[in-house]
Amino acid sequence: MNIDILLSFFVVLISLFGLVVSRNIIKSIICFNMLQASAVLLFLNFVHSKEAVIPILSSIDSNKNIVDPLPQALMITAIVIGAAITALALMFSIKIFHYYGTLDWDELIKREG
Amino acid sequence: MRIETLLQIIMIIIALTIILDKDNLRLVIFSSAFSLIAASLYYMNKSPDVALAEAAIGSAIIPLIFIIAIEKQKQFIVVNHLNDEFLDRDTGKGYKVLEEFAKHYGLKLSVYKNDDGQIQGAFRERNIDLIVEKSPQDNRKYLFIGKKASILMNKLEQMTKDIEDIKIIKVEESERYD
Repeated sequence: MNIDILLSFFVVLISLFGLVVSRNIIKSIICFNMLQASAVLLFLNFVHSKEAVIPILSSIDSNKNIVDPLPQALMITAIVIGAAITALALMFSIKIFHYYGTLDWDELIKREG
Repeated sequence: MRIETLLQIIMIIIALTIILDKDNLRLVIFSSAFSLIAASLYYMNKSPDVALAEAAIGSAIIPLIFIIAIEKQKQFIVVNHLNDEFLDRDTGKGYKVLEEFAKHYGLKLSVYKNDDGQIQGAFRERNIDLIVEKSPQDNRKYLFIGKKASILMNKLEQMTKDIEDIKIIKVEESERYD
């Protein structure tokens, strides 16, 4: 087992823990962001190998392998979608604050019944 | 020790700090640092294009929209329907009450003068938190009209229960107050 994969999986678990235990909505959104960034890191750790080189045309040596560029393209899409989801979640949090006057999960659940 | 492992350990420490911290603005700065370290780790995992996107979006644009959202959320918008000096800045009696209330809960008070009247029931559309006007029955009483669901109205009611000429009215979101 590679230590990099292990450590990045640990970061994913910490972010998931923060998402579950946090009482503040802003903190939940930040933990969601962290979860997304660390999931991307875990995925990139899975696909990369030590001998391979960066897939840029000028750096390619004919007797060396290159890293698969397809997962990287997918990860860029994931990052951009994550930014959009963050903006949407923050807009909802502003609406919730102006309606209920609080951003505490426990208070909100108590008010909604 | 390899530099990747060191950066991963710093990342774990920042993640734990984010979970333990309570101040919103400090959390945003920590998340920016987290994204920056994540971007350098992406580069070390031989994907510089993802690192570029993460450095631009994760550590610059996302903190920016977080800060804008926190500032917008702190605003407490009051609409003033009065003709006298009850809500005048720094001199009015009602302004002092509202300022003390906003200071206590870390809000940013902004009072708008409105002579048109008739924007009750428009809470949802215009993000208004409180409407101040004169009572139709008793000429000396002032009405503070706010949303029923908001917990801030309960706190304002507790704060102003000793002051005689202020009356709190809580309305449903869609209901009109006439």
